[in-house]
Amino acid sequence: MSEMRDEMLRTLDRIVEDHVTTAMREAADEKGSGGASAGSNATAALWAALDEAGMTAIGGGGEDDVAFGDAMEIVRRAGYHALPVPLAETIIARRILGRVGIEAPAGALSIAVPGAGELPRETQGRLAGAARSVPYGRSVAHVVVASEGKLHLVAVSDAVAATGCNMAGEARDTLDLGRARVVATAANATAIADLEAEGALIRAVALSGALSAALDHSLTWANDRIQFGKPISKHQAVQHLMAQMAEEAAAGGAAADLAVEASEAAPDRLAIGIAKARTGEAAGKSANLAHAAFGAMGFTREHHLHYTTRRLWAWRNEFGSEVFWQAEIGRAVAQAGGARLWPMLTGHA
Amino acid sequence: MPQFVFEPVKLPPEAVKLRTEVRAFLGEERAKGSFVPAVGSMVEADEAFSQKLGARGWLGMTWPKQYGGGERSTLERYVVVEELLAAGAPALCHWIAERQSGPQILRHGSERAKAMILPEIAAGRCYFAIGMSEPDTGSDLASVKSRAVKADGGWRITGRKVWTSFAHRAHYIIALVRTSGTPDQRHHGLTQFIVDMKSPGISVRPIYNLYGGHDFNEVTFDDVFVPEDMTVGGEGRGWEMVVSELAYERSGPDRFMSSYPLLVEAIDELGRDPQPMQAAEVGRLVAHLATLRRMSTSIAGMLNDGKSPVTEAALVKDLGTTLEQEIPESVRKILPIEARGLPENSAYSELQQLSQMQCVSYSIRGGTREILRGMIARGLGMR
Repeated sequence: MSEMRDEMLRTLDRIVEDHVTTAMREAADEKGSGGASAGSNATAALWAALDEAGMTAIGGGGEDDVAFGDAMEIVRRAGYHALPVPLAETIIARRILGRVGIEAPAGALSIAVPGAGELPRETQGRLAGAARSVPYGRSVAHVVVASEGKLHLVAVSDAVAATGCNMAGEARDTLDLGRARVVATAANATAIADLEAEGALIRAVALSGALSAALDHSLTWANDRIQFGKPISKHQAVQHLMAQMAEEAAAGGAAADLAVEASEAAPDRLAIGIAKARTGEAAGKSANLAHAAFGAMGFTREHHLHYTTRRLWAWRNEFGSEVFWQAEIGRAVAQAGGARLWPMLTGHA
Repeated sequence: MPQFVFEPVKLPPEAVKLRTEVRAFLGEERAKGSFVPAVGSMVEADEAFSQKLGARGWLGMTWPKQYGGGERSTLERYVVVEELLAAGAPALCHWIAERQSGPQILRHGSERAKAMILPEIAAGRCYFAIGMSEPDTGSDLASVKSRAVKADGGWRITGRKVWTSFAHRAHYIIALVRTSGTPDQRHHGLTQFIVDMKSPGISVRPIYNLYGGHDFNEVTFDDVFVPEDMTVGGEGRGWEMVVSELAYERSGPDRFMSSYPLLVEAIDELGRDPQPMQAAEVGRLVAHLATLRRMSTSIAGMLNDGKSPVTEAALVKDLGTTLEQEIPESVRKILPIEARGLPENSAYSELQQLSQMQCVSYSIRGGTREILRGMIARGLGMR
């Protein structure tokens, strides 16, 4: 691990320590009001600290930018901390824009999910249609949108048509693209597929962070909680739950690494599909295991476990569920035939 | 908090080149009809095939040249092993010898043992069995009762080993035996011996498995003489030897690839245009395989760096054998075998049914799932 990466991760940890409180998390996810806009919202101070540390300006791939792998480590750590702000979205939007040569505006960005609802249509520089489930749509100034063969940067202004949340209380809003201003457009033959894959990549990487968090929280709990006269961590049944969580966290981490490594230059759909499918499956298993370890306490609002487990459940649904990506991988494998699977897995024809 | 790290490993160019050579060789052999892909990685034994691998320098690859090795990296060996498994090649004969007995002898054997045995393993001519379990000793390995007593110039072993794979064709068995103290003293007083299977006093009786196959044996030692210089690691270090050996035994791709040939057959049986849920199930298995392969390669990298990733190996084995057991289960859901004809009519049905019967053993051999999870919990600081 590079010095720079360590330093950035330490900075992020410090910011979390300084700015993330239960009161803030509750305010952020009560109405999906977490986000990035300066002003009155609950997470404004957190975002400002991230901004000041330069973390909201990475991902674009410029000369001074951090390595892609380092940027994805920030996404992973933000997932570990269950941060209720569009940091991952901002980083990946900057990368997508950088790749097609559109200058990324400063501040919080988000990306529209190509698979949610109908695809936007573009005619003479204007977009029509709705972008659904846009992460933090209401609190970012700009969103990246794909239409057939083109990538667009749009200013949200007053295009928010409806607000909603995922089950982790993170804002997922509907934008009326007809009311959004198109700031820039770039021709990009693979715009739709790439945007979807980049979205799945940040969710897979964030999931791998959340899997580690679920394991850490559960271990701490198991070492502290006394039942039958000893910490529950000393009971074999609980040890085996934790061992399985450790396996899922390790597998999720390895799958996310695999996708990041393959996608350095451009998103690799197969690798990202593998990562999203594997981390998504791990998410379901780990959330169940964590709740088994925590008992009734973990089912309460006052305990912090749900900030992580609700994200495990929510993120595995976004930018393509496990089944969506599994089916895509399965179709590709079936079409190639059994004998081609091994060369495909070893990346070697 | 402790968590397990699987650092990425990039295969060096020589390993990539080697893959092409191994794949071409296996393709030719298969085309010649010298084998049909089998599930289980340790089912088909073909001495001629093992010797062909030896002649190409693909056995004992990492060992010093003076002992018949090729002084190549662990990652190159990894590539050979995974190509053999992916092809379902008949590699059983040399498997145990090359995977764990040879490396243990190289690290902890006497000069005479190294010079006599290693070149033969590397040539594909010398095979091993592992004598750990006994009638009253399974997962609780420290409870072994077989005993060795000092004799002129060596030791004399008396006892019984069971569920010993391949003992009926092995040239040597490495037996874990008590040389001092009592079973209550657990890990103390155990020694590993390299025993020539031709020694007077050894008898081997088959123990057939649930589908009638012959892999297991009972090996009885009746006052069997073993020369002084045929221990692994010396007197009293048996437990330590077992632990380090298991990092080799558990970490390889043979712990997640055993059902791979069935998956390949199922994909072909599915055809080019599967139903969405069929495709999704295949995709799920592929996502698991790709992830495990990455983790297993990472372990090969750790071994290459001289580390002993015992807990990481346990973790990958538990995940890997789970996948090996899921493959027959998954494919029977998306490709019901009744509709596809009886075994004699379909390679798919035959492999599915064989794999179904074999796979229960995968989470037992080389350490049970429950033992592995206990080790992982210890790695997490819980024990």
